Amino acid sequence: MKALVLLGCPETPSQTPMAVYVFDKLTKMGYDTTIAANPAASKLVKISDPEGYYKLNLVDLERTLGEINEGDYDLLVGFVHKDAAASFFVTFDQILNTKSLALVFSRDMDEVEEFVNMIEESGSNAKIQAVRAFHNPSPIKVKFDKAIKEFE
Amino acid sequence: MSFCLDTYLQQSDNYEIHASKAGFKDCAMIIRYKADDLVYIKPGDEVLGVRVIGIPPIPIGFDHKKGTVFLPYTKPCHGTSVVELPINDEEIEKIRKLDTGNKK
Repeated sequence: MKALVLLGCPETPSQTPMAVYVFDKLTKMGYDTTIAANPAASKLVKISDPEGYYKLNLVDLERTLGEINEGDYDLLVGFVHKDAAASFFVTFDQILNTKSLALVFSRDMDEVEEFVNMIEESGSNAKIQAVRAFHNPSPIKVKFDKAIKEFE
Repeated sequence: MSFCLDTYLQQSDNYEIHASKAGFKDCAMIIRYKADDLVYIKPGDEVLGVRVIGIPPIPIGFDHKKGTVFLPYTKPCHGTSVVELPINDEEIEKIRKLDTGNKK
């Protein structure tokens, strides 16, 4: 089983620890997990694991977009905290056509609602977990833990 | 060698940005407003050598008098832009084949 984790722009502090958390969780569930991120987001994650304890598998987001095909992954998990991240998630979701989970968060609930609407309007069958969060990753962690049980 | 939009935008100044650092919906609205001919494609469809990112149906517009195409261009940290650049008939026909016909 293979899982792809999509990171958005690294401006939100809670994304980096959650990326490591999600990678670890999915790996322990038996997924061969890959994190796709832009260079800045990727560096934040990589430097968070200086000893290589988690054996993080990081790839370039845009290069991956150009290379993937339907069936390449069994699970897609995306961090959606910007308009662009919602667009990227929907695009990967449509190409891969697999089980997917969107972790939607922002410090602004109106934005959370807007991003959820974007995903829903796309016709995606993704499971959406939405919560108000920015600095503190705990609300996202709680939502992820609850949602991922359905994929176990 | 086939055309690649990313390379073109880095190496040419023959293009126009109509909106930058915007939301996808605003960019889609600008394309619909500015173009005199539209096709609607799916996210991930390839146009000018890149997979187009967005929420379906994604409008791709043409100005046939100017011989240009309008398309959304999304980067993770910079949101979505509307780029207008020259296009030839062969590429227009390739894009027309992607048309889903879904305008909703």
